[in-house]
Amino acid sequence: MKYALRLLTLGLAFSATSGHLSTAAAQQPVEIQFWTWYLSPKFDPYIKTTIAAFEKANPTIKVKWFDKQATMVQDFIASVNMGGAPDVVNLNIDETAKAAQNGFLRAVDGLTAPATLKTTFYPQTLRNFTIGGKVYGYPWYGSLNEGVLLYNPDLLKKAGVSAPRNMTEMLNMVKAVKDKTGAYAWVPALKDPGGASFLGYFFSDGLPIYNASGQAAFNSPAHIALLQRYVDLFKGGYLPEDALRKEAFQLATELYAQNKVAMIVGGPQALNRIKDSNPSLYAKTVVTTAPLGKAGVQTGTSMGMVIPTASKHPAEAAKLAAFFTNNVNQMEFAKIVPIVPTTAAAQNDPYFKKVSADPIAKATSLVGASGRFINPGFKVPGNSDDLYKNFSDNIEAAMLGKKTPAQALNDTVSYWNTNMKK
Amino acid sequence: MSAVTRPIPSVVPRRKSSKKALRLVLRYVLLFSVLIFAVFPFVWTFAIAITDKRAGTSIYDFPASLFPKAVTLNNFIEVYRTFELGKYVWNSISITALTVIGTLIVSALAAYPLARFRFPGKHIIFAIIVATLVLPGETTFIVNTLTLKKMGLLGTHLGVVIPTIAGAFGIFLMRQAFLSVPTALLEAARLDGAGEMTILTRIMLPLTKPSLAALGIFTLVGTWNAYFWPMLVLSAAPDKAPLSVAVLRLKGQFNYDPFNIAAGSLIMMLPVLLVFLAAQRYFMKGMEGAVK
Amino acid sequence: MTRAQRSLTPRTRSSFSWRDTLMSYAFLAPALILLTLFTFYPLAYGSYLGFTEYGGARFGQGLPPKWIGIENFRTLFADPLFLTSLGNSVKYLVVVPVLQLASLAVAVLVNKNLPGMTFFRAAYYVPVVTSISLAAVMWEWVYNKDGTLNWVLGALHLLPNGAVGWLNGEATAFWAVMLVTFWRGFGYYMVLYLAGLQGIPEELEEAAVLDGASAWQRFWQITVPMMKPTILLCSLLSTIAALRVLEEVLVLTNGGPLNSTYTALMYVYSKAFQGFNFDYGLASAAGLVVAVVALALSVANFRLFRESDGEGT
Repeated sequence: MKYALRLLTLGLAFSATSGHLSTAAAQQPVEIQFWTWYLSPKFDPYIKTTIAAFEKANPTIKVKWFDKQATMVQDFIASVNMGGAPDVVNLNIDETAKAAQNGFLRAVDGLTAPATLKTTFYPQTLRNFTIGGKVYGYPWYGSLNEGVLLYNPDLLKKAGVSAPRNMTEMLNMVKAVKDKTGAYAWVPALKDPGGASFLGYFFSDGLPIYNASGQAAFNSPAHIALLQRYVDLFKGGYLPEDALRKEAFQLATELYAQNKVAMIVGGPQALNRIKDSNPSLYAKTVVTTAPLGKAGVQTGTSMGMVIPTASKHPAEAAKLAAFFTNNVNQMEFAKIVPIVPTTAAAQNDPYFKKVSADPIAKATSLVGASGRFINPGFKVPGNSDDLYKNFSDNIEAAMLGKKTPAQALNDTVSYWNTNMKK
Repeated sequence: MSAVTRPIPSVVPRRKSSKKALRLVLRYVLLFSVLIFAVFPFVWTFAIAITDKRAGTSIYDFPASLFPKAVTLNNFIEVYRTFELGKYVWNSISITALTVIGTLIVSALAAYPLARFRFPGKHIIFAIIVATLVLPGETTFIVNTLTLKKMGLLGTHLGVVIPTIAGAFGIFLMRQAFLSVPTALLEAARLDGAGEMTILTRIMLPLTKPSLAALGIFTLVGTWNAYFWPMLVLSAAPDKAPLSVAVLRLKGQFNYDPFNIAAGSLIMMLPVLLVFLAAQRYFMKGMEGAVK
Repeated sequence: MTRAQRSLTPRTRSSFSWRDTLMSYAFLAPALILLTLFTFYPLAYGSYLGFTEYGGARFGQGLPPKWIGIENFRTLFADPLFLTSLGNSVKYLVVVPVLQLASLAVAVLVNKNLPGMTFFRAAYYVPVVTSISLAAVMWEWVYNKDGTLNWVLGALHLLPNGAVGWLNGEATAFWAVMLVTFWRGFGYYMVLYLAGLQGIPEELEEAAVLDGASAWQRFWQITVPMMKPTILLCSLLSTIAALRVLEEVLVLTNGGPLNSTYTALMYVYSKAFQGFNFDYGLASAAGLVVAVVALALSVANFRLFRESDGEGT
């Protein structure tokens, strides 16, 4: 009885204090800084509405939103340096890995219950943001590298081919398309400034990137043969030269709108651009399932929301990140732009089951529910900038005939294994 | 090369004038060739910016893309509206004006004693200032943002301006200009009892107007186009960002749409171009009034 | 002149004067204070960083720089990419004499009271006021395989092997980028030279014309010698700018193809800004190496012009 009374008093005291605390907090809302990446001004209404909804549900939290562009990472580092770190930051898989490896990020499984994370997201999308056994980001909107195949039916007809059903067919028709139409068949991701996209082709064909002990191992005869295939096409002038200098997706959308490339393999977001720059071609464009490599798997990537170690309000930040990445809000986003939600519940959403003749709507239905395939295909290595640069340089050397494909891959593998940091 | 020793040609007026005419023609031929080199990409950009893209034209159709069939201002309007460029124009003007005025004052003040006085440490100071032109400044931005934070200037236009106004280039340029003013003028003024500030403002500055104009223009252009530094200082105050920072977002949003990129770039470029044209006339006047 | 009639004893210009010294430092004060705060201090700190381990992980965990002596320099000179980049930057200096002579020549060309000169001067300055991002877009279009350069050359039958992707070939990219530097620079130096040209007395020019000197002879025998201080300034600026070229490369080729346009500053930049793996220590060390080369070249520049002036030490 005495004990129960004491408990009761304690309980009352506790509730009194906490009640007092919460009113104090209500009077002085916590302001958190939220950075997105390349989303303004196109998606201003979506972001602002979502923030407003969040603030309404959490009256004690004020969100200050900024959109960062090319200097995102520099600004992030600088702001940490200056003591004004943002609380929620939108990063991709690569940058999240680098930031986490360098101690910039807080593990989010300490802020949101791991069980909640596991039920909200697909296992793989969560795995993409798991570094050293800890989750460092809330998976956000994603895209598939082989999301859909878009093609210009006139060009394919002229070339006398039908849409490729797999990558073997695609590689086989490259010559015919170029020779008969003058347009390139498609733009492969040979090289990109900040990544190692060609590794994705190995993964697609079921070829390993690392061996069992975590060493780079992409120099088997099968790897070399695949690279050889691309090198031959490049040397023959069947792939655009610019593909070594520009990001493939960028180049593909540019050339497609000018009738200079027949097909695009990628996320449906290319369609938005084509709709803007060449509406009549957009109307003709056919959307179908993407050709896959021998392994029959998709690859893809997603954005995530991370919480910096330097954030002063991690609990509030976690709330915002969880809110933005939850199924409802990702679905709302998918209705504005054809992204692929990384939330498991999205695969059963009726929105992705609609049938339509509009290319964008059709593409959305094709890819929207396939978030489980979002997987870059390889883990980001430590020291990735130097390793990626070395890989890209070697791919380029092979394309330009400075090295044989075997030399190029052997050199890269030995460089990777000497310089990879754990 | 015996130009001077060569006998003066017998002056036949008609032949001389025809030679003169030929020289004139040659000069203009050269002038026009350089003109094409200088502005061709610009003209092309302009043509693309006013092209009605709905006509489905490619920017690479030569020479058709230089002479758009359907002309429109829609690209400009689209870019201006999407990015709400108005407020950024004002920010750019504010930052640029402060920087130009600050640079001119600080450079002229510093250059005057370096050009005209003898005092201990003069050569060392000058050498050190010039040396900053070649020293590595790649990491200065980190330290400078920290300093600004301590001064409470982070996120303000003054914070963007103050670290940039004292520069070796301005001081060097003004020193060279002051050196070219005849010493006799100064001595005369000193004998008349003029103070140094009076000499600087009444004699030196009017006589070096062209250099001031040149420095002003250079600073203006550099400041107007700079984006990394202002972006860093104003990263927490995006509403105070200049046009260069705002326009950079074009690349992120419209990189597939050359028509909008062209229009946005021209919007950014036009003010500087206009100021330059205006200052150019002043520059001419300065040249006419300059001492021989 | 001023109306003040205070009589002051004329000072001898050779002796030390407290008044002059105090006055000088008063005039210099704003510049010196600002330079110390925002240039020298960060420079000293940056140089110190060159001898430390400071980047990604240390930084992320809030650790201070760690002194490691010349370790960074060892790393640099063992890195083939750094050596390539330094070599490319030195090779880039080719642009300096061409750019300076062309700019001076253009300045002479527009330094005449003839109809349209205001227009030409302004037009030549257009590339200077063009921001690098716009310049990149425009030149990208020019150098494209379907771009204007190929169109013009094709029309003139100067392309025996068909259209060239100017930025894609190892043989052409370097020069293509350099042409953009030239394009962005000549208007800038032209204005500097114009400011200098008005210091040349017109009588000198007129006398030479009467003597029958050709335009070519006048350029070399009057203009160039009279313009020496300006030429020194311009070639100094241009040398340093060439050695530190970065923007053009960054936006046009990103250092490729096969690192043929990868410059020293590109190396510094990529080490300092490669996201979370950044290495301020190594970047600062590389910056110091570039600075030493730049300093040596500047001294050489001064020497060259002094000695050809006949006042060499």
